[in-house]
Amino acid sequence: MWETLANLAAGLAASLEPLNFLMILVGLAIGIVAGALPGITMLNSIVLVLPFTYLMEIVPSLLLMTSIYIGGVFGGSITGILFNIPGDPMNVPTTWEGYQLNKKGQVRLALGMAIMASAIGGFLSALILTFASPPFAKVALTFSTVEYFAVVVLGLASVVVIGQVSVAGALMSLFAGMFLGTVGTEAQYGITRFAFGIKFLETGIDFVTVLIGLFAIGEVLDQLSGSKAGAGGDAAAPSTSRARLPSPRQLWALRGSIVRGLGTGVVIGAIPGAGATVASFVSYGLEKQVSKEPERFGTGVLEGLTASETSVNASTGGAMIPLLTLGIPGSGATAVMMGAFLLHGVQPGPLLFSKSPHEVYTIFVGMLLANLIMIVMGLLAARSFAQLMKVPEPILAAFIITFCFIGAYALRNDMADVWLTMLFGVLGFFMRRYNLPIPPLILGVILGPLAEQYFLTSMVSYGNDVTVFFTRPVSAAVLLTSAGLLLWPALKGWLARRKALRV
Amino acid sequence: MRSLPGAIGPALIFLAGAGLFAAAGRLPVVPVPGQLGPDFWPRLVLIGLMASCVLKILEVARGREGGGEPTALLPLSRPKLAGGMALVLGYPALAPLLGFPLTTSFFLLAFMRLAGTRRPLPLLVTALLGTVALLYLFVKVVYLPLPKGAGVMEDFTIFLYRLLRIF
Repeated sequence: MWETLANLAAGLAASLEPLNFLMILVGLAIGIVAGALPGITMLNSIVLVLPFTYLMEIVPSLLLMTSIYIGGVFGGSITGILFNIPGDPMNVPTTWEGYQLNKKGQVRLALGMAIMASAIGGFLSALILTFASPPFAKVALTFSTVEYFAVVVLGLASVVVIGQVSVAGALMSLFAGMFLGTVGTEAQYGITRFAFGIKFLETGIDFVTVLIGLFAIGEVLDQLSGSKAGAGGDAAAPSTSRARLPSPRQLWALRGSIVRGLGTGVVIGAIPGAGATVASFVSYGLEKQVSKEPERFGTGVLEGLTASETSVNASTGGAMIPLLTLGIPGSGATAVMMGAFLLHGVQPGPLLFSKSPHEVYTIFVGMLLANLIMIVMGLLAARSFAQLMKVPEPILAAFIITFCFIGAYALRNDMADVWLTMLFGVLGFFMRRYNLPIPPLILGVILGPLAEQYFLTSMVSYGNDVTVFFTRPVSAAVLLTSAGLLLWPALKGWLARRKALRV
Repeated sequence: MRSLPGAIGPALIFLAGAGLFAAAGRLPVVPVPGQLGPDFWPRLVLIGLMASCVLKILEVARGREGGGEPTALLPLSRPKLAGGMALVLGYPALAPLLGFPLTTSFFLLAFMRLAGTRRPLPLLVTALLGTVALLYLFVKVVYLPLPKGAGVMEDFTIFLYRLLRIF
């Protein structure tokens, strides 16, 4: 304990050195902006700065990358709340509640709460990372694709609590999304599925095209056609669009959501392959389940926003655990960071703590500092992006579509992705029009391929024995929870009808 | 499903799912013995899709469309919607031919006009300056090779880039 504290003190001194501190600031700024722009992901920006880190020592390199990571997972919430355009899939649940709060004129609170929840989630997860890495890593090491599959199923099952129209409608949307995820070249046999001779479908449908199209373009078309009440001006007035940090009393009232989001984020973040997106959906679903008013979710509920936003940033600390303690990168971002370690001749793993304590604890303190500084940076960023709300609606709408064009094109420098985005935009309009829920489709496209990969790998590993999912305790417990989530609405309805009959 | 008459929507999706299920069986690979083939997962998903369609049809038949409140939809402006969709789909169609700069200027002008901006000068200035700003940001700073156009339009785009000192 004392040794850890001494290492932390040395790490603090190192983090406050001018170059290291500058890297934290620069990384946060890059991360927040990259996270906020649809199509330019946090992962892209980490990859883009990798060449610059060749010239640096390992500590500033990793501080730059971890700060981009921390800022990046938060950044997408700003545009989600302001314009209903989540920067990354992980920001989708925040967008559901945040944009509704915006429409109710509570955009300042939504932005402020998102900033605070992110900072708290990230800070506490960095603390957990500091003190609980080794025991945590031992548990994660026992997980195989069976457990990963179970966790992804839990994410998919959350569709029932996300679906706002009907369970059947939500499931239709989910399975349609999962089917879209099967289009393109399949990994195990290398054959092309459901491309029907269309060249660009052979490489698959990138979920970003679905995300941008359904959310951003669909929303713009919906507002343009005037089909929605208050179209063209249903976001908050510009005067109210600066972020306002929540009071301690408001934060205390949301302590349950924060704790649940933190727990979900750290645990799921520490599972390689799961990551922030699964964490945000699961924590949102969990929050809706424990809520006394689940029917209000999707209409601008602070609990939903707080839990998902806390979990997204809490997953950053969680994701660093397997990287630092086992040398296993659990996500794209941590894989690039592992590359930076190796480029500097440092091997992440159990020996890292004894061989390079200075570097490790400087990164820990850097993450703690970055999460605190993010409160200020987040406020500044929210203020800058909020200025965009003063732009007249027609101009904003036209530029949103142009940014969507560029964001889709930037994925692979391919016009096919732009076409897909625009077509999904038209589909998004009709889904809104006919009350088919959009979020489950997005969830299906993102998690469907992961579920297939883990399922098939498990089947190969365990000789097609499906009972393995129920004989391994962690997997069985997670799948049981998923079944509970799926059956709960029906059970609740049945109980309510029975109660009504008795009365 | 309010505007779709009854269960026609889910029924059509069910039929599409059945067609795709059959298509999955024609995938050109014989699975390795003891391993699941490439058609296994899509078929599992399509069974889920068709089952949820049946659930939806039953839900409609029972008159229980459950869930939350339907969104407040007002009658839509068909000319605006048609214009918006034409512009959204025309944008990627024209960009490879005319190049990103010209297509974007035209798109911005047309979309802002359609969405309600009336005054011509702000319309023109916003479209042109906006396009130039996007070119500087994404072509000069981020090195994104946005479409330059085909034939003479490619020459025009390169000339424009040189004029703006982007190249």
